[in-house]
Amino acid sequence: MSNELLVIFYILATLAIAYLWFYPKVIGSNIKLMVWMDVVVTGIPLAISAVLFWQSDPAFRLFSFDLNWFFFTIIAMFLIEIPIFLLYLKARGLWDNYWAIYRVAPKGSPDAAWASASVKSVEKQLNDTKWDGLRTTTAKRTLIVASNLSILLGTAFLLTSATREPGWAALSLIHILLIFVFWFLLRQSVRLVADAPQEALDEMLLKFRDRSYLTAYRWLSLIVILFVSALMGYSVFSDLQQMSDGFNYTISYNWPQVQAVFWLLFAYALMLPSMAMLSQDLKKERRRSK
Amino acid sequence: MGRKPKSEEERVANRVEDLRTRTNLSRQELAEQVGVHYQTIGYIERGEYSPSLVLALRIASVLGVSVEEIFWLDEENNE
Repeated sequence: MSNELLVIFYILATLAIAYLWFYPKVIGSNIKLMVWMDVVVTGIPLAISAVLFWQSDPAFRLFSFDLNWFFFTIIAMFLIEIPIFLLYLKARGLWDNYWAIYRVAPKGSPDAAWASASVKSVEKQLNDTKWDGLRTTTAKRTLIVASNLSILLGTAFLLTSATREPGWAALSLIHILLIFVFWFLLRQSVRLVADAPQEALDEMLLKFRDRSYLTAYRWLSLIVILFVSALMGYSVFSDLQQMSDGFNYTISYNWPQVQAVFWLLFAYALMLPSMAMLSQDLKKERRRSK
Repeated sequence: MGRKPKSEEERVANRVEDLRTRTNLSRQELAEQVGVHYQTIGYIERGEYSPSLVLALRIASVLGVSVEEIFWLDEENNE
């Protein structure tokens, strides 16, 4: 028996025990417990693979890709389990309960796919005073400047000097951590309104939220236009080189540079709505003080 | 015919604060009765936000007057 078939065999055996006995008889309709137990169930074939293949580390073939035991087991497990899992949810009437775990906005909300704050958490934040220190004019200005500086300096570091720095991986982790810290602080500063489902907002807050998305889209489009223009500029510059054939351009990039581009776009996609809302607040405060 | 820029639009003046204090309602209480956040009442009172017709009617109903007695176009400050 090949190694691939062996792994698939014990995956199927694990799933058979889980779905024919453990989940229906022991877990029942407690969907949250089932999700946690699924992590344990996924760990069983992984543990068996580790025992069998850790030392020898053979290559596993999956759809013309060579993988190690870890990735082969994980991917094979997901490919086999997902249809079984979905069928199980349907058959046991757990479908709605399962998706409710991940649903932030109420069912049927037009913001269901986009909101990242629940109605309850927004309502709590609207009356919150704990984070008022982040809602002063100076704090708002500092937050906008600091979060942009953090994103841009981190990106510049990863693009230019990461490979020369021995501890670049640790520094890139700090960059990623700072993105999430600033995202958290920006959200607290605007009381989660920018990321709220419409059911949590009254007509004025809804108007402010929608306006902030318009501004955020304009800023994001500027960032994307600058990025693709740089790419176009590079191609035109390459054309002017003597060695160019006028058609093929070689863009070589390393892992830190891939990280730089990914986290730049990711960070702005996360933070721009809250940043735009803060900037609108500051404009209003300026008008009020005149 | 296009819309005027925001800075040139007619401002809506109001006497929500005056009527609210006369009826001994706090911002929070008025906000709860008309179904908005208390900050929204603050924005309306300062003239920084013009409510929708529905909200204006709700506020008028809670304060026991007609909409025209609370809200009007502030033509004086628009000139």
